[in-house]
Amino acid sequence: MKFLCVPCDQPMKVLNVTPPDRGSISVTYSCPACGYEMAMLTNPFETQLVSSMGIKVGPAASAESDKPKCPFSGMVAEAEPTAVPAEDGVRWTDEAVARMQVIPEFVRPMAKTGIERFAKEGGHAEITLAVLDEAKSRFGM
Amino acid sequence: MKSYHDIVGDGGSNILEQVTDQKDRIAKALSKVKHRVAVGSGKGGVGKSTVTRALAAALAARGFKVAIVDADFNGPTQARMTGLRGAVPVPGIDGLALPKSRDGVGVFSVGAFLPESEALDFASVSTGESHTWRATKEFAALGEVLASVAWGKLDILLFDLPPGAERTLQFAEYLGTETSFVLVTIPSEVSRGVVARSVAALANTDNSLLGYVENMSGYFCADCGEIKPLFPETKDGIVLDLTCLGRVPFDPALAFACDRGVAFLDLPETAATRALSAIAGRLVESLEIDR
Repeated sequence: MKFLCVPCDQPMKVLNVTPPDRGSISVTYSCPACGYEMAMLTNPFETQLVSSMGIKVGPAASAESDKPKCPFSGMVAEAEPTAVPAEDGVRWTDEAVARMQVIPEFVRPMAKTGIERFAKEGGHAEITLAVLDEAKSRFGM
Repeated sequence: MKSYHDIVGDGGSNILEQVTDQKDRIAKALSKVKHRVAVGSGKGGVGKSTVTRALAAALAARGFKVAIVDADFNGPTQARMTGLRGAVPVPGIDGLALPKSRDGVGVFSVGAFLPESEALDFASVSTGESHTWRATKEFAALGEVLASVAWGKLDILLFDLPPGAERTLQFAEYLGTETSFVLVTIPSEVSRGVVARSVAALANTDNSLLGYVENMSGYFCADCGEIKPLFPETKDGIVLDLTCLGRVPFDPALAFACDRGVAFLDLPETAATRALSAIAGRLVESLEIDR
């Protein structure tokens, strides 16, 4: 989707993006010629359609000041492992959390649960890269 | 006034760049895979998954490096069939580690980590509208899987497709012309009719259609040692206009093995396993695979 400033006949640029609010993203565009600003407010249906393509949805890319700001980038992380202890007391190191990013996003919550169960059963209080390697061996990988 | 095509770029949305990036990641991840073969049908319940699983085992027994993608995210069966239920997805250095069955076949199946009492669900900001976005999301998820798994060097990557003639076409378009197709039917007019629709749909693509497998082609009677018909034979029935790669009789031992995840190398040789091994041989010939 592109937006055109009709009086100037100039493509408008993304100015800023607000975080998703109940499935809606607000994207502000401005005309580089006259400075006119307008906002596109997506409804949850539109947001879902775009994100279903595997497109990152959200404001994360706006932090990269040297790149064009992107209304459909960055993903609201859900059920991501963190370095803080989970409810069952198993802790993840930063390196182990980082490695989890190679797993498809929709698989990650199930991976997190399974790896934490594996660690707990093995008596590991902390999930490290070594524990992940041990899990790989355990599951025949 | 400028039109959409007069404006360079995608208006700052970055969508096209992200889609291109996804395709590049998939191509890179599959760069060491020599051949991709999708096993589909259009019809459900004809044994696509059984044929896929058996072909993979037969190819592995011939010394080929084989993996399966269970592309039926909503009805995944390969984890059960390969004895890999409960295999937790674990990240490795190069990507998601791929569990292997006892007969040496790498398997990605949602069924490995999603209990059969649960349906696959995706987080959504739009409730009650899944009919509009779910298929798109599933293909995006498949793309993530293809791009994320550490496939390594493979001779053949088999895709176990979900039913639906339209889905077969969608997979052909999504996986690209590098993917060849094998269709599975059973000897009933109902099944052949649906498979014929899939053949017609695939005719509109440049994907290679290697042939079809007739599954449940009679049953093997252990008492008399003969193959007896399961379906009535028709003289004026639908004829599929493509190569028959082979006919596989129904074999309770094979069904049992699939239900229990028994490795195929542990099965005794039967008419069904011989037929499947022969089909694997014809597949190798048609793909002109060098070991």
